[in-house]
Amino acid sequence: METISVFREGIEALGEAGGWDVRLCYQCSLCTASCPWNSVRTFMLRRMLRESQFGLVDLGSEDWWLCMTCGQCTVRCPRGVPIIDVMKAVRRLLVGSGTAPARLHSAMTSLSSLGNPWLQEREKRTDWAGGLGVKRFTSGMELLYFSCCTAAYDPRAMGIARATVRVLQKAGVDFGILGSAEVCCGESARKAGNESLFRSLAQTNIESFGRNGVTRVLTSSPHCYYSFRNEYPQLGAAFEVVHFTQYLWGLVSQGRLKFSRGTKLRVAYHDPCYLGRHSGVYDEPRRVLGSIPGVELVELPDSRETALCCGGGGGRIWMETKVGERFSDIRLEQTRSVGAELLVTACPYCLLNLDASVAAGAEGRGGVGVKDISELVAEAV
Amino acid sequence: MTEHEIQEQEEQGQPEPVVLSSRGRVGAVMVVGGGVSGVQASLDLAGMGYRVYLVEESAAVGGRMAQLDKTFPTNDCSMCILSPKLVECYRHPDIRILTNASVKAVEGEPGNFRVRVVKRPRYVDESKCVGCGTCARYCPVKIPDPFNQNLSTTKAIRVPFAQAVPLASVVEPEQCLFLLRQECKICYPVCKNRAINFKQTEEELEIAVGAVILSPGYRPFDPSSKSEYGYGRFPNVVTSLEFERISTASGPYQGEVVRPSDGRPPRRIAWIQCVGSRDVVSGNHYCSAVCCTYTAKQVIMTKEHHGEVEAAVFFNDVRAFGKGFDQYYERARHLPGVRYIWSTAAAVRELPQTRNVVLRYCRDGSEVVEEEFDLVVLSVGLTPSASVRSLAAAAGVRLNDYGFCEVQPFAPGETSRPGVYASGTFIQPMDIPESVATGSAAVSLCSQLLSEERGLLLKGDMEQVRERDVSGEALRVGVFVCRCGTNIGSVVNVPEVVQYSGGLDGVTYVEEGLYSCAVDSIKRLTEVAGEKGLNRVVVAACTPRTHEPLFRETLRQAGLNPYLLEMANIREQCSWVHPWDKEAATAKAKDLVRMAVAKSRLLEPLRSVIVPVEHSALVIGGGVSGMTCALSLAEQGYAVHLVEKSSSLGGLAKRLHTTLEGEDVHGFIEGLGKRVEGHSRIRVYTQAEVSETSGFVGNFSTKVSLAASSETREIRHGVVIIATGGEEVKHREYLYGDDARVMTLLEMEEKLAKGDGGPGWQSVVIIGCAGSREPDRPYCSRVCCGEMVKCALRIKGSRPESEVYVLHRDVRTYGFNELHYKRAAELGVHFIRFDLEDKPVVEVSGGALRVMVTDRVLGKRLEIPADVVGLATGVAPAPDGERLSKLFKVPLSEDGFFLEAHLKLRPVEFAAEGIFLCGVAHSPKFIGECISQAQAAAARAGTILSRDFIEAPGVVGVVDTDRCIGCGVCRTVCPFEAVVLNQTAEGLRAEVIPASCKGCGLCSARCPTRAITINCFSDEQVMSQVAALVAGS
Repeated sequence: METISVFREGIEALGEAGGWDVRLCYQCSLCTASCPWNSVRTFMLRRMLRESQFGLVDLGSEDWWLCMTCGQCTVRCPRGVPIIDVMKAVRRLLVGSGTAPARLHSAMTSLSSLGNPWLQEREKRTDWAGGLGVKRFTSGMELLYFSCCTAAYDPRAMGIARATVRVLQKAGVDFGILGSAEVCCGESARKAGNESLFRSLAQTNIESFGRNGVTRVLTSSPHCYYSFRNEYPQLGAAFEVVHFTQYLWGLVSQGRLKFSRGTKLRVAYHDPCYLGRHSGVYDEPRRVLGSIPGVELVELPDSRETALCCGGGGGRIWMETKVGERFSDIRLEQTRSVGAELLVTACPYCLLNLDASVAAGAEGRGGVGVKDISELVAEAV
Repeated sequence: MTEHEIQEQEEQGQPEPVVLSSRGRVGAVMVVGGGVSGVQASLDLAGMGYRVYLVEESAAVGGRMAQLDKTFPTNDCSMCILSPKLVECYRHPDIRILTNASVKAVEGEPGNFRVRVVKRPRYVDESKCVGCGTCARYCPVKIPDPFNQNLSTTKAIRVPFAQAVPLASVVEPEQCLFLLRQECKICYPVCKNRAINFKQTEEELEIAVGAVILSPGYRPFDPSSKSEYGYGRFPNVVTSLEFERISTASGPYQGEVVRPSDGRPPRRIAWIQCVGSRDVVSGNHYCSAVCCTYTAKQVIMTKEHHGEVEAAVFFNDVRAFGKGFDQYYERARHLPGVRYIWSTAAAVRELPQTRNVVLRYCRDGSEVVEEEFDLVVLSVGLTPSASVRSLAAAAGVRLNDYGFCEVQPFAPGETSRPGVYASGTFIQPMDIPESVATGSAAVSLCSQLLSEERGLLLKGDMEQVRERDVSGEALRVGVFVCRCGTNIGSVVNVPEVVQYSGGLDGVTYVEEGLYSCAVDSIKRLTEVAGEKGLNRVVVAACTPRTHEPLFRETLRQAGLNPYLLEMANIREQCSWVHPWDKEAATAKAKDLVRMAVAKSRLLEPLRSVIVPVEHSALVIGGGVSGMTCALSLAEQGYAVHLVEKSSSLGGLAKRLHTTLEGEDVHGFIEGLGKRVEGHSRIRVYTQAEVSETSGFVGNFSTKVSLAASSETREIRHGVVIIATGGEEVKHREYLYGDDARVMTLLEMEEKLAKGDGGPGWQSVVIIGCAGSREPDRPYCSRVCCGEMVKCALRIKGSRPESEVYVLHRDVRTYGFNELHYKRAAELGVHFIRFDLEDKPVVEVSGGALRVMVTDRVLGKRLEIPADVVGLATGVAPAPDGERLSKLFKVPLSEDGFFLEAHLKLRPVEFAAEGIFLCGVAHSPKFIGECISQAQAAAARAGTILSRDFIEAPGVVGVVDTDRCIGCGVCRTVCPFEAVVLNQTAEGLRAEVIPASCKGCGLCSARCPTRAITINCFSDEQVMSQVAALVAGS
């Protein structure tokens, strides 16, 4: 049996990177039992936390990059160990030691030079809005619409931004966009261990929002929403943030938005982790879907508090996931199992992953479509 | 005003005239909460001579214990041992039970409180209802049955449960059609006794009492919010309390362990521990203290009934810390088909076809597995009962962060308000014996406050019914056959036994009952005995060990001499041991009844003996327990002789410096010692030992040898309390004794207190269970885990840069001690779990000390350099235990600690009357627990000392002096010192002292001339049973 010793410097380094609280872990392993990875492969979270407690992090292990920060373990941890923070701390050490995966590295480079992770030019950030007559945000407008880099650049996710705009226009909402004056929110960069990059992105946005007189931001991505709401205030931000699903329910319930068409459709809703578990928004998207004529809403086996992650959080959206280990595949199978024709979500990452699973067209997933909630709503108004 | 008039006024809801003692205090106490703790407190208070008001929120007393199937570690049937106490409470003339009632306000001051109690309407007149259940049969409204944890249904009007006290129906106002919308009312005409009364309204009573005891109990944690366990989503995930109801004979499935989804017996059952305990998510940071052992019980009982069941227990630390618990856990763990798995499990899905539940868990650090189970039991924790906040506000007492009572470490029974005391799980999560002991302890505190008010408000002795002289009557035997719910009735063919009994010689009356010990049956027996002129009574039911006193008392109430009773045990000896052979069980029941009837024909009335009581106590042992007990008794007004063998008071606690909570132990002991030594009613003897003792309850005489003066003093006393404590084990392992850097925890604590744990202590290793929980010392010493954490906290507290490692087999920081464990983890103390099969190794290499231990999660050997090593070596019984055990004829357990009369319900007394125990002499425990137990012993002793006379039972030995030859064999064999030899004109003759005699029969069996007869067990009576047996039916 291998003999080891506790590595004090390791404990301290991890602690300074934000992982002090791993010491609270009492090794009950509920995290490991709860982690979705263990439904597709072995992921020894218990062991990783134990290594961290002794300062013996295996820097060569790829496992540290698997965590999607879906939060299922963290909300259950009986000792209150902020497991995502521990992951983040280990990743900071790994990033610092230059051992981050190559795919992640290119996203980070893109973020720091272009302000988006998708190697796209800053100037093209508003290309998605072509022909929609979207105004540039000016002080005094009710809302800044913050589309998220993915919805701005990705050809598929662009549909979210376009649909959102159409819905807002239909309801007569006074809003604008900032285009190249905004950059990525930085949430996923931070989770991927790049703290300084996050801070610089956040500073850029905070300054830009301030300069432009932004007081209320509408986001399409739950990740932007989470970061604006929970992380930006610590860096001095003082604007209000609302997720599109919340705003949408406001419009519907106030009668500002009326649905006209109604085709019969069995719809399942996929809770994005950062909207549901991390932010507690479960009901608004369901209420909106439920109020669309013809839509029959059904629940997936793992929904709401126990929702299965699409696999895209924590920087995973920039990394490759092996076939056979993709949660988005499972999600589509679950959709089919409850007899739904359409799987609706409310997050650009979820949309990309789920859509990729549809495109891969593996057996057993036929006949299920995937849409963002904004797209379905835009079609129905 | 007469007592009768007062009673009438009370019943009409009018305020009772307040009777104050000359110093302005009231000789009455209110107990709030009718669980086992409150019931024990009520009985002790009434036994001491206080008027008691027992206020219960629900419609019946009994509390959670009434819902349990069996109890650990003795596997006693919970209801069977509780029920006699409930009945005793109900029948006691000085206890008034107020059900459906809540306390609204407590005004006044210690000694003289006015309590406002609101009594909600029951809509049934308790005095008219006989609990027959007819109303419930007709009621059309089905509602979930809370007594069965909603696993079955009951009706909107119902008797809460079969053995409910008071046995009366109650209407659920939110469900009753009549109360809701003036419909139905069918119960009204069907009640033959016209007991239903929809005109009842809420009434408010104002009751004057001198003190208040709060024992509102607990509520099991509701796991609905825990998505990881699937409770509420998957029908085959149940709570542990639901499992109690599933397993129990009186439950919805008649004791057949089946699954809620399909009623099929489960083959694979999983238990998940710590659900809602040790959990920051639910806010319950504390450990619930009882779950680990109740799970062991559920595993053992399930395996006993369904041997084919495979059980898996998912745990993180098995906390079997109580007396006999660790051996009990080992027993469960080693049963075939039982696995204990160190991992929490999450319910990941339900299989649609079978509705089985798939659990995912972790095997050490290497593997994650999924496994299918038929049934999953969640070992839910204890949370404060729902009403605790309003009760605390009404009583003006403070709660702690978790909603339990705020108490101080050295005053565990005292709330923040003087004169208001706490008991049971209101203080913290605890098991039944502790609930019982804290109930008694609270009584001590009341009795200290109201020492001059005892007997002021008594209703007097039990109403004396004139005893009928049956000597000239023709024999009329009545036989009462009990079904014990389904306990007997599901196996033994009771109607057949009834019919058979009717044909036996001398039997003039027979009837069957659902529960013969229930209040209505008792009442009926009393009436029938009179109506039918019975002069012998045979009860065919359960064991006389628990129920004979109840039935004897019933005969007394019926005007019969209580010794005209004979019991046939057709439960333990028939239905329980032959559950698979109903015919044989029935035939055996008939045999037993025939034998009992035969014997009953020869029963004679007996008279009990009255002896006076010496109002003083002998306390042996001057540690925290002995001193606390002595002080409590003295404050209650009794003289106390406190005997300590060393030269000063303080005991084992002298070696402690702080408690886990950080309290100063030395200061506390000094203060306590001063109060004891300065008390006018306490006489302290140091360097003293008990050398001889004789006598019996109320009348002991003991010789104490004083080492200093070589004198011997003779002390007369009415009771004895053994509080001889224990000592730290010196266990030679891990280089202890060979290397000065290896020390026991007390040695480590001493060094830390002196400041010796200086800069040299950079790396400290503490090893748990050193020599404990191993074959040579199989018990858990309960306190060591807390001591380990305490030392770790002290070291980390003064030197945060040091590394502290606690190597343990389980961290048993139960109750609120868990908070300190968590604090130690926060400070960076490393906790490493090891197995008995792979213990740590302490070695010296190049003069440096190091410890090697396997980390199970990493599967690697951890090498730890150690400056010092602390060993948790456990607590051993005091060395003179054996001598005292022989001297007082009281037993020791296998572990060498004193063994109480009953592990559950008589935790601080011996079977021999008048002798009590408390503190570490009973088993290792923390200071606060010693204080509780010492006060409990003082209360139990007080129930004897408060009396002027005691009555000795009639079933005792009687010597025929004509036959006696004075050989003395009887005296040698008597385990109770009950036989003396007197010099007479004819030579030595034996005499049995009735007050000491337990009627065990050893003397009678050994007497060479058959000179000793045990009343109720004469040769003739016993032979009549044998003859009846061999004669056959």
